[in-house]
Amino acid sequence: MTGTYATAITVVALFLAAWTLISAAANRPRGVALLASGLVLEVLLLGFAIGGLVQMAGSDRDLARAEFVMYLVGALAIPPAAFVWAWGERSRAGTAVIALAFLITPVMILRVQQVWAGSVG
Amino acid sequence: MADPASGAPHAPAATGRGFGRLLVAVYGLFALAATSRSVVQLATRFDEAPLAYLLSAFAAIVYIVATVSLARGSVTSRRLATVAISIELAGVLIVGAASVLFPDAFPRATVWTGFGSGYLLVPLVLPFVGLWWLRHTR
Repeated sequence: MTGTYATAITVVALFLAAWTLISAAANRPRGVALLASGLVLEVLLLGFAIGGLVQMAGSDRDLARAEFVMYLVGALAIPPAAFVWAWGERSRAGTAVIALAFLITPVMILRVQQVWAGSVG
Repeated sequence: MADPASGAPHAPAATGRGFGRLLVAVYGLFALAATSRSVVQLATRFDEAPLAYLLSAFAAIVYIVATVSLARGSVTSRRLATVAISIELAGVLIVGAASVLFPDAFPRATVWTGFGSGYLLVPLVLPFVGLWWLRHTR
């Protein structure tokens, strides 16, 4: 997995997580901006997943393929699931759920890279 | 308006609303993590560490039950959540202690190994928060 794209997603996700956490702490009402930022992250993650699958298909080395795909799919699924679950909650707790999804994304990216590097048993 | 102090019967606050929304999200994350981990472990290398892998699967089921029952928040599901989270608390304490005392028995990590140290100790804190939340919303 190439590093630059993964690093970009990590930076974007961390920035969004910080911004969303501040929004939750300040008890600001959620707006379209949050939804849009989630969408941007999701598009980036989709690119990451497609790139990852293409690289995996083109590689014949020993790789924990099931784990690799699982982490890619997990990273892709978490933000939409968080939005669906959080959107009915008008309080700051709903915003915090979305912040949590943004915070988890870099962890998922890291795990994808670890599995790719072969350091996860 | 029902006065809580009067002891009049009132519907319990739903466990999946307010702070519960966040709590369910964290439980859901652990349900996802434990389930994926155990599916891969059981499917691909069960022979390496059957005890640890079966524990992973057990933990996954406990997290799934806790997530769904907290999210539903009905009277019955509150009871189910209390049972599941109590098992979770016992599990993380027993497996955590056993993995420290008898590391040889746990050649592969589970979500509860070392009291959940692989997950920033969140598995240790989570059942306490869960039980507090169930009491708080009663």
